[in-house]
Amino acid sequence: MNAAADPGAGRVLDADVGVVGAGPAGLAAAGSLARAGLSVVVLDEGQRAGGQIFRQPSPRVAGCGAAPPSHRRGRGLLAAFAQSGARLCSGVTVWDARPGRLWFEQAAESWLVRCERVLLAPGAYDRSIPFPGWTLPGVVTAGALQIMGRAGVVPGKRALVAGSGPLLLPTVAALLGAGVQVVAALEASPRSSAWRALPGLLGHGGRRAEAFWYLRKLLGARVRLRSGWTLFGCEGEDRVQRALIGKVDAEGRPRRDTARSIEVDVVGAGFGLVPSIELGLLLGCRSRCDPRRGGHCLDVDGEQRTSVPTVFAAGEVCGIGGAEVAIAEGELAAAAIVKDLRGVPVPPALAVAAARERRAADRLLGCFPPLPGLCDLATADTIVCRCEDVRLEQTRAAAALHGRSLRAIKVGCRAGMGPCQGRICGPSLQALANGLPGQPADLPVVQVPVKPVRVQTVLDAPRG
Amino acid sequence: MAAPMVETADLVVAGGGIVGCAVVHHLAQLLPPQTRIVLLDRGPIAGATSGSCMGHLMVTPDTPQEYAFTATSLALWRELQQQEGGFDYQPTGALYLADAPEDVELLPVLQRQFRDNGDRADILDPAQLRELEPGLAPDLPGALFYPGDGVVLPMAACASMLRHAQRTNPNVQVRPDCAVTGFATDGDRLTGVRTAQGPIATGSVVNTAGVWAPELTAMLRQPPLPIHPRAGNLVVTGHHSTPIKTQLLEVSYLRFAHGAAQVDPTRTTGDPGGHAVNMQPQTHGGCLIGSTRQFRGLDRTLNRDLVLRSLARACRYAPGLRHAPIVRTWVGLRPYSVDKHPLIGPWPPVRGLWIAAGHEGLGISLAPVTGRLIAQQIAGVPTAVDATPYLPARFLR
Ligand SMILES: Cc1cc2nc3c(=O)[nH]c(=O)nc-3n(C[C@H](O)[C@H](O)[C@H](O)COP(=O)(O)OP(=O)(O)OC[C@H]3O[C@@H](n4cnc5c(N)ncnc54)[C@H](O)[C@@H]3O)c2cc1C
Ligand SMILES: Cc1cc2nc3c(=O)[nH]c(=O)nc-3n(C[C@H](O)[C@H](O)[C@H](O)COP(=O)(O)OP(=O)(O)OC[C@H]3O[C@@H](n4cnc5c(N)ncnc54)[C@H](O)[C@@H]3O)c2cc1C
Repeated sequence: MNAAADPGAGRVLDADVGVVGAGPAGLAAAGSLARAGLSVVVLDEGQRAGGQIFRQPSPRVAGCGAAPPSHRRGRGLLAAFAQSGARLCSGVTVWDARPGRLWFEQAAESWLVRCERVLLAPGAYDRSIPFPGWTLPGVVTAGALQIMGRAGVVPGKRALVAGSGPLLLPTVAALLGAGVQVVAALEASPRSSAWRALPGLLGHGGRRAEAFWYLRKLLGARVRLRSGWTLFGCEGEDRVQRALIGKVDAEGRPRRDTARSIEVDVVGAGFGLVPSIELGLLLGCRSRCDPRRGGHCLDVDGEQRTSVPTVFAAGEVCGIGGAEVAIAEGELAAAAIVKDLRGVPVPPALAVAAARERRAADRLLGCFPPLPGLCDLATADTIVCRCEDVRLEQTRAAAALHGRSLRAIKVGCRAGMGPCQGRICGPSLQALANGLPGQPADLPVVQVPVKPVRVQTVLDAPRG
Repeated sequence: MAAPMVETADLVVAGGGIVGCAVVHHLAQLLPPQTRIVLLDRGPIAGATSGSCMGHLMVTPDTPQEYAFTATSLALWRELQQQEGGFDYQPTGALYLADAPEDVELLPVLQRQFRDNGDRADILDPAQLRELEPGLAPDLPGALFYPGDGVVLPMAACASMLRHAQRTNPNVQVRPDCAVTGFATDGDRLTGVRTAQGPIATGSVVNTAGVWAPELTAMLRQPPLPIHPRAGNLVVTGHHSTPIKTQLLEVSYLRFAHGAAQVDPTRTTGDPGGHAVNMQPQTHGGCLIGSTRQFRGLDRTLNRDLVLRSLARACRYAPGLRHAPIVRTWVGLRPYSVDKHPLIGPWPPVRGLWIAAGHEGLGISLAPVTGRLIAQQIAGVPTAVDATPYLPARFLR
């Protein structure tokens, strides 16, 4: 048998533009592209469009809790997208890419999109920082808890939300909306950070309304957001029953003398986001490290073009910035693609708007600088890599013998070799293993498939 | 002002793959504990080929010499498991699978080779095969089971060898991220190495740089060593997804892998490459799937076409693999020596320079016997196996 001559049993879609991600960036871009007369295919892992922020609640629980103002914008974006004629494939995994080609798996089927331009809008992941007990059932990321809250499926009644950055508020709000008691909400950054964030929020119409909406929600439920506090660890028999909380210093180092135990049955921990750049790296796009924007981001020019001429990127993948940035960059990227394929110039206002949103987001995120001291939360026997069950002390032994690079730690103890390929542990692995808080992580080397897919999907992949 | 202190070492081992680690392991056992041994690697320990391969410990029975060499090495592997452990050693044996009728004819030939060496291997009929490996396709005509082979996790084995070495001799130093950048000589005698972290004065260097071994000898203006990178693509599947428990190979693998290359290994383009199935269960329940071979220089981009072909063959044997999730793919570079024997021993034109490199697809299997052989040569004691076929000087004639 000669598989090479076999064209692959999968199916092919032809389009002008292939978009990865149906979050704000992907939706805004796809709508604009389709309205400009281009054929567009949008590929998204979620079951419904919307990405992390505008993910539509499942019909089962529709109307569960009031939505913040931004979600009206989200609904508008979704409606416009739905009418635009862009084609959406949800519940799919994009696993391989080359310029002009995107391979994806949908259920058990193998597909190829052939297109003139690729737009990457795959968003971001929650940044995890390991602490004792973070692998207990009932402990999830803040982002996951937010999604559960909005879907009305929170696995508990007494919640703790802890971490750092602007995403804690929406998580608390989603829990309140689902009728869950929020026992504590802890922001690790010092109180001064939140105050410094205020002018940025107030000076920006959309963000001001959003911030007020959340604060009202918290006040109404008498939840106080405590700054300079975090979660030291979680305990419980078969699932989380208690959390140890306490104060941290200005760098995030736990002050153990302040520790106290509270009873909770569900915990959301979120220490910011990490751009999801794997597909970009696979496509050969240049990246750069910007700790303020979440670490390694794809590098784009003033019109969202990556270093690979036919590949564009927008939203969190170019650096954490939030939904407003994602929408503005999505629209700009769409205009630049229309320029490429139809010769229509890019309206200068779009580039101005995207740059303005970026600046505003950078100012806001600049108020929540990374807190290297949070590395001290993990103890020697804390699991660092969940996929491969690797403990902190094993990563330290690996770094001491094999070397300090990400690759060395990986070969030395298997951390980052599991199904998540270091997406969860990677960003903090090196700093933890080397005992160098704040050390930026090496750029990961990505390989096909960027996310696990079945052998059969690879065998069936249409060649081309 | 004090004169700058130059670090000194009795021996420098250049290259921290499985071969370098095994060399250090045996030097530490054979030489007195005050001997200063420094292991250097440009990158991580076990970060290059020895962290990008499979871990099949293989006895090859093609000739009595090869049988003795590989079987001795396997015995040393079992000894290391006793001494130190910690590298996922699994004594699974190996199943040589047949598919086409001409493969079936190879089974008794291979069995006879094992028997001629005083060893045993059993031909299994389809029913016996299914009993041993229920995950295999029901229509396979038969297989040969060789009980002596095993599987290890090579990166962990490197660490075990070094841990044992450092316990035996506290003067063993391991230095990752420290490249050898040049050498110091006095006439035809080596007097030191230059490294990324400063010079080391030493009279003896073992070149264990795998596919980069020729780069090191080139720094000494020596004629090119006949070692060429031979790329292999690998696939690994997720936890608890392997349909098999034994190390599996196509019976044609031996001929494919260890037979003469059909193409000129010095060319970096134009080799279409080939494949023969090699499937290896991992302790976490994943499955490694190989194995392809292609000469194309140091290029480590995945050859999707060869991967597809080897996956298709693997699914022919173990259909359940179709549903296994692929977690990652990658490419490793085998150090292929043109006469298919590794280079182990002194390099006479430069006194103090030793070579242990060029193990192609058998470097994991052969690392312990290689380490012991060169350590015995360096220590000046009789060697336990005949060193002659492996002496690098054979390429000077
Ligand atoms: C868990 C979480 C919660 C968040 N909550 C908020 C919030 O409340 N408010 C806020 O302002 N911001 C929030 N954010 C930030 C939010 O992501 C951005 O503000 C905004 O949504 C960025 O849009 P995006 O299009 O770049 O990415 P996203 O909205 O993340 O959308 C990317 C989409 O692409 C899909 N995708 C990614 N990779 C692949 C692949 N290989 N194959 C197929 N599909 C893929 C994802 O499933 C996702 O649906 C959150 C982020 C996360 C991760
Ligand atoms: C796909 C594949 C599958 C395989 N499967 C098996 C198997 O199942 N069983 C088996 O027995 N063998 C197998 N092999 C073969 C085996 O992996 C190799 O033979 C073996 O790893 C070679 O080890 P090495 O130490 O010589 O080389 P390497 O592991 O490459 O070590 C050489 C080291 O030298 C370092 N170096 C290079 N230049 C310098 C410098 N200037 N200064 C300092 N350091 C330097 C490198 O960084 C590297 O770490 C396989 C190989 C491949 C590619």
